[in-house]
Amino acid sequence: MRDLFRFLLRGRDTLLFIALMILAMGLLYSGSMHHRAVAINSSNALAGTLFDWQRQVTEYTSLRAVNERLVAENTQWRNRFGLADSAKAIGAPAGADSLTERLYRFASAKVVSATYHKQRNYITLDKGTSNGVLPGMGVIGPDGIVGVVHDASERFASVISVLNPLVKTSVKLKRSGNFGLLYWDTNDPATASMVDIPKHVRVAVGDTVVTMGGDGVFPTDVPVGAVAEVSSPPGRPDQAVIVRLFEDLSRSGYVYVVHDIHRAERDSLIQRQDEP
Amino acid sequence: MIQGIAANLGRFVLLLLLQVLLLDQVDLAHGWMVPYLYVLFLIMLPFELPAWAGLLIGAATGLVMDIFASTPGMHMSASVVLMFVRKHLLRLMAPRDGYEFGMHPTVPSMGLAWFATNAGVLIAVHHLWLFFVELHRFDAFFGTLLRAVLSAAFTLGLCLLAQLLTSRTAERKRA
Repeated sequence: MRDLFRFLLRGRDTLLFIALMILAMGLLYSGSMHHRAVAINSSNALAGTLFDWQRQVTEYTSLRAVNERLVAENTQWRNRFGLADSAKAIGAPAGADSLTERLYRFASAKVVSATYHKQRNYITLDKGTSNGVLPGMGVIGPDGIVGVVHDASERFASVISVLNPLVKTSVKLKRSGNFGLLYWDTNDPATASMVDIPKHVRVAVGDTVVTMGGDGVFPTDVPVGAVAEVSSPPGRPDQAVIVRLFEDLSRSGYVYVVHDIHRAERDSLIQRQDEP
Repeated sequence: MIQGIAANLGRFVLLLLLQVLLLDQVDLAHGWMVPYLYVLFLIMLPFELPAWAGLLIGAATGLVMDIFASTPGMHMSASVVLMFVRKHLLRLMAPRDGYEFGMHPTVPSMGLAWFATNAGVLIAVHHLWLFFVELHRFDAFFGTLLRAVLSAAFTLGLCLLAQLLTSRTAERKRA
């Protein structure tokens, strides 16, 4: 018994090391999925507040560029909805039509911190559950998709960037409709890979890639990028497609969080299908 | 004693703020050099610190880093590994008569060669662990290795620069 105590005392540092490593590995492998009392990500109130202060100080340096982007986006929307207004003007019936039914609600959010040069990238937003931002919602920018919310506190949300191998987005080729998964394994913030495109499908450089939609994360046909490179490596069932992303993730100032209004209904229906 | 704790606490806050507010958010060399200067805090912890306390401080430091970087367990495991290796490395690199009271793991106290070797090994261990855990796959082995080595060299450079800047002011204070 005394020997055991002596052994434990002598090896106590090693035992502590092993215990701490098990704890760290547990966090690493279950970390991003489980909910705990304290969030170990930047939706944590302390981290969010600190990043928010920092952004309040530094945002003046990028105001001009952000304004120009917002004006350009506004113009685009005006051009699109100018048509809808004229339809109303000639007395087209509104409402009670599945074409005009609202499927998504968008909440604007400011990016308070973001990385794009690491091997796993995350973004912090200044909106949280009090603004209806919940885990699993998609995030899009003025030009294309940005990421998926993975945790939200009352005032902040932590987003897994599309520049992170943990996120796989269902996308399709706009021209042919063939779908695949967008996956970041290029380690280049300007591009990503599209996998699962069968070899018989003709893919051309310059083809537009858009979101598949229907998964409750992103709406259908949100721009993602354009095909930059195509090759057919032997020993692989699919083509290697490199997509140049439309959204410049190194400068996303304001983004939109997508709330799919019918998600809960669709999810419960699918769940009922799966049950015998 | 109290002064020592205050100095370490100040270093902890300063280095972590520098890390999360500046170093984490600037892209140098297109992602090939990502410095993690916060490890300087762990490298400069006093010699007298018991190993178990060092491990716990390492775990806590890594956890705070993980909160800011949204990477649960990543910096925590890397910092714990660093502190475990440090315990053995300090024994290996001890002067013949052991560490004396008043010695610090700094350039002015231990000399440039000692500090650079000690910090170099610890930074290399920490960065290699971190970059491979971050990637989670081994198909890009050499790219990740190069990334880790370049980043470690950069972090070591920053550590030496920090030593140079702070030791100058310390000397001036003494004079």
